[in-house]
Amino acid sequence: MGITNSIQIGPYEILYPLKPPVSPVQQYGQHHLPGRLFVVEGIDGSGKSTQLSLLHKWLETRGYGVVFSEWNSSPLVKDTTKLGKKKKLLTPATFSLIHATDFADRTEHSILPFLKAGAVVLCDRYIYTAFARDAARGMDPDWVRSVYGFAVKPTTAFYFRVPLETAIGRVTGARDGFKYYEAGLDLGLTGDAEDSFRLFQGRILEEYEKMIPEFGLTVIDATLPVEAQQAQVRQIVQCHLDSAKELRIRP
Amino acid sequence: MRQTYGKQLPGMRLSDLPGKLIVIEGTDGAGRSTQINLLKPWLEELGHAVLDTGMTRSRLAGEGIRRAKEGNHLGRVTQSLFYATDFIDRLEKEIVPALRAGFIVLTDRYIYSLIARAMVRGMDAHWIRSIYGVALKPDAVFYLRIGIDDLLPRVVFCHGFDYWESGLDLYPSQDFYEGFCNYQAALLEEFDRLAREYSFEIVDASADAGAVCEQLKRKILEIVEPAHAETPGVKMSETLVHSLADRILAKLTLGGPTSEPERSPAAEAPLTPEPVPVALAPQLQLRRQNRFSV
Repeated sequence: MGITNSIQIGPYEILYPLKPPVSPVQQYGQHHLPGRLFVVEGIDGSGKSTQLSLLHKWLETRGYGVVFSEWNSSPLVKDTTKLGKKKKLLTPATFSLIHATDFADRTEHSILPFLKAGAVVLCDRYIYTAFARDAARGMDPDWVRSVYGFAVKPTTAFYFRVPLETAIGRVTGARDGFKYYEAGLDLGLTGDAEDSFRLFQGRILEEYEKMIPEFGLTVIDATLPVEAQQAQVRQIVQCHLDSAKELRIRP
Repeated sequence: MRQTYGKQLPGMRLSDLPGKLIVIEGTDGAGRSTQINLLKPWLEELGHAVLDTGMTRSRLAGEGIRRAKEGNHLGRVTQSLFYATDFIDRLEKEIVPALRAGFIVLTDRYIYSLIARAMVRGMDAHWIRSIYGVALKPDAVFYLRIGIDDLLPRVVFCHGFDYWESGLDLYPSQDFYEGFCNYQAALLEEFDRLAREYSFEIVDASADAGAVCEQLKRKILEIVEPAHAETPGVKMSETLVHSLADRILAKLTLGGPTSEPERSPAAEAPLTPEPVPVALAPQLQLRRQNRFSV
């Protein structure tokens, strides 16, 4: 059950392995905390948040104790991130570290204690978002993976795969303009926000594709109807809940 | 060409960094900031441009860390990464630009304090070192070493006990005094390990501030004015000063000649060049001023 190849940081028992584990059993092994951790990943406009909120409601109506944690939401760190973004103080390195700090706070306060308590924890974006964005900004991939060495390995990481143009079509209609870092304007690829967004998202998409085999991401075809995707997600989640009846807070 | 301890940050050119990076390290209350306040005007007097920087002074994360430390919500991993954010911001925005402009950077603590604090809080040794692998190797690290017994009176009679300096996040059941002793002892142990790993220059910080400063000045001159240390004129007067000092020492020491054998041949032929005596500092200063006025 245990993942022997994990490293130990601080008080945590089971952490993300830094190097690919030796055997497939270990690679697909679960952390031994009583809770379950499901995360959704994908580029902007992939529909991952919609899918996660449908899953959230489904789990709640079935009586599980569910906790939701969103990327970049730590109350302790958000003012610093906001300052950095507003004043354009962030470099690729500090962008990476402030998000890692945010993630660490959520791991220490929202994710790990709840997993220990046996909850189902849902994360909208996880370490793979950082790996993809930071690599797209030119950070060394090994360095970033090592920074996040304290992260808990998810039970399942869903990757909502969508062609770039489909995602951009969904996003551009829904919002007015792009933010500086969101569009990757800090990289100086091009002065136009929409062109920059397109180039940056393209780079991120490439990074995600590379991570599918590296981390065994569960790919969901995000061009399918919402209902069809949700049915797949629920089926996979269900398999991991069968052996965890004790998670139910109401029968 | 400068080096890092491991990886390189994107966009950070390591060539053309002519400045000097000098680190003052030590546990809380060792007198680091006192020394920096003495060294900075002295270096400026010699004609050097100086940048002084230190932990939690970054524009990006300094305020955030201060606010996070006011509450009781700052976890250990989060703390380590918040400090790393602060450090990298200063490295990219202050230290490297200053080194590129030829400044002497005096930094009040560097990655070593951050590693020591993380280690004492149970972080993984490999993890924390890999994060700071992107840091520049400095020109010198002066470790102001002070034992708990010498440190306690300074803390008690200067600013009193502090929650974080007493490690109460680590030892919540202890009082400030117990926490302080345990935490500082653990830090000291970690620092001694780091001193070997990173070859710190150890300076006894239990002496009075003036004496510590004279030691530091002598060592810093070797780094910032190596040309003068090598010029014949300085070398001659150096020998003169040394022979004078030997004579005076011989007269002062009881039974003068018997102390002679203590000077082993190794001590007389050191591997590293002898430091420029502090007594010569005014001369150097004059020379510099002349050079600038031409």
